[in-house]
Amino acid sequence: MRKIAPLLSLTWVIALAYAEPVFSPTEQYRSYLIEQISQTLANAKRLRERAAANDVDGAKKAWIAARVGWEQSEVFISGFVSDLDEDIDAWPNALSGFHAIEARLFGANTADVAVATDQLIYHLTDLDIKIRQIPLNSQGLLNGAARLAYEVGESKADGGESRYSGTSLDDMRNNVSGIQLVYKTIFAAPLGASDPKLALNTEQTIQRLASLLSVADAKSLEPGKVRTASEELIVALQAAAPKMGLLKPTLEDITQ
Amino acid sequence: MKDANAQSGARQSTARRTGIIVTAALLVASVSSLEAFPIHGSQTVLPDGSELNEDALQKPREIFKSEAGGKSYLINLGDLAFSSPNMLGDVARRAGVSCSTCHVNGASNSAFFIPGLSTRHGNLDTTGAIFNPPADDHVLNPLTIPSLRGARFLGPYGHDGRQVSLRVFVRNVIVDEFGGAEPSAAILDAIVAYVEDIEFLPNARVTSEGRLTGRNSASARRGAALFGKTFPHDPALSCAACHMPAGRFVDHLQHDVGSGGAFKTPTLVNANFNAPYFHDGRFSTYDEVVRHFDRQYSLGLSAANRNDLVAYLTAIGDGERGEEQDSIEAWLKEINDFASVLATAIPAHDIQVIGLTVDTVGAELRELTEHFPDHKDPTVSGGSAERRRARQSLKEVVLSLRRIGLAGSANDFDAAMLEYSNYRHLIQNAVPEMKRAEPWSLFDAKVHELHYAALRRVSETATPATH
Repeated sequence: MRKIAPLLSLTWVIALAYAEPVFSPTEQYRSYLIEQISQTLANAKRLRERAAANDVDGAKKAWIAARVGWEQSEVFISGFVSDLDEDIDAWPNALSGFHAIEARLFGANTADVAVATDQLIYHLTDLDIKIRQIPLNSQGLLNGAARLAYEVGESKADGGESRYSGTSLDDMRNNVSGIQLVYKTIFAAPLGASDPKLALNTEQTIQRLASLLSVADAKSLEPGKVRTASEELIVALQAAAPKMGLLKPTLEDITQ
Repeated sequence: MKDANAQSGARQSTARRTGIIVTAALLVASVSSLEAFPIHGSQTVLPDGSELNEDALQKPREIFKSEAGGKSYLINLGDLAFSSPNMLGDVARRAGVSCSTCHVNGASNSAFFIPGLSTRHGNLDTTGAIFNPPADDHVLNPLTIPSLRGARFLGPYGHDGRQVSLRVFVRNVIVDEFGGAEPSAAILDAIVAYVEDIEFLPNARVTSEGRLTGRNSASARRGAALFGKTFPHDPALSCAACHMPAGRFVDHLQHDVGSGGAFKTPTLVNANFNAPYFHDGRFSTYDEVVRHFDRQYSLGLSAANRNDLVAYLTAIGDGERGEEQDSIEAWLKEINDFASVLATAIPAHDIQVIGLTVDTVGAELRELTEHFPDHKDPTVSGGSAERRRARQSLKEVVLSLRRIGLAGSANDFDAAMLEYSNYRHLIQNAVPEMKRAEPWSLFDAKVHELHYAALRRVSETATPATH
């Protein structure tokens, strides 16, 4: 028993560190997440309906609208269910996922996207169920925010993943808006309490990133500055982690 | 060793043997594996359809004069600046184009193509509207991208040989042609030192005096004789009169050889790797070049004469391992050379060079990371854990560089030096992770092909059907 007791204590400490009280900020974040995915799912269904009516322009609008919630929710996707990315947002893939539909709709200008859209709706429905049940924790969301911040800094000189719709810049903006949301909901208060200077710096870096993305079009982006801001944000999040009782965020899901 | 004409001949004989269907299949396979993947979309800085050839699995081999004794800080800094889009103007910087985009590893880039600036792969109009609009001469007059191998022997510079000084010429390219800010004297000196350090590839088929060695065919020897023979209608002229064998096949002069003006004599050393030929790249093969001279100077060459001249040009234009497969080792060598600049720049409190290094090496590391496809890439099924670990370790290196940059900007050079030591530790740790993930990376020919085939399929799917 004497040998087991310290182990139990350690387990209890770890459990406490990761336990999230009811109505905690993570649960508050979950409500936003549910909203984002519901919006994505609703627009994916609208995309199917418009495509069935051979309304290419309407289908394009629905595709763009569906991307908003998806890109915002990538903080969660990156931190918790990164494998779903391959089903929903695979790249390069001409057969399934958002970008297969995009290539046909925006590139080939055809509404012949029924099969891929049905698959997308199936996977988004699955995600919609998962986000209501999956246990959320601050560590996973911090990982997700850091991973997404890194992705925002990637070069889009080749047109990015949403090259046919020309909405790669919108993807980046929605990514940053997702990071901003999770930071404000979960991390701003504890970091502000433990290190106000770092909290201010983190918030300002997110703002700087958002401001760098508020250009007229992707051609006007300053990729070097965006990359610098994205990396400085991760450096700030890494420094913030121990001050919030969390581990340094990893930039890939290496547990898989 | 690459021998374009020999390869072409082999392809033709294969076609004769196996018929049209097989030939067509071979050509499709050949095109798909060699074709540079174009930039797509209306939101790109460079025009839709631009091809930079950055996805090529085979890269030109670069060797340095100072390699054996260890490259100096100056040469590494020059190489770094040469690879940095920050040296060029707004458009190039936003498009991620640097000097090395065109001069890959100091060689040429025969697959480079920018709609509106190129009339064929391998040429570019540097006085067009895209990179530096004020310098636009409103004439589409593209020039081939020259190889810089042995550049220190090949002045004057520019296809028209307008500039004696390499330093002045480099500044002109950066500022006037690509709209870059005025480079500092130190950076300019460094780029010149780097370019002058790029060595010709060794060629066992020719001596240092430009004579054929014993490793050549009878046809090449006959070609050598023809090369030195005076032209029938002008005894002062011969091929060798301008392409002087003892002088690395140049005479440092400009001549009008019927191509629309006077252009300097290009070297024939390693020229097998420099197609297309002539100032504007109008000729794809030596055979076309020889036919041009035959017509222009009424040489009266027979088919056998032409073949002999092509054999000779192929012999003197050869080079050992002109290309090598892209590899983790090649990337690491370059990254380590570049990053080594920090060992001097940090103690010297050189904020400008620290910033340039952090940005350039960071971008290279990000690019290297993308050689290990992420979980969203459906073209690679295995090695998921290995790829994730390789990516994780490289991303940590990128962030370490950023911390160096932050410390440098804050004038905290002790912290920067400490982080530089951490950087070296992290990059060392990343090596085994990359090696473990290599079989599922874009360094693997099969994975590379699957990945780019998937990109091509997306591109085809996005092409409107023609009725």
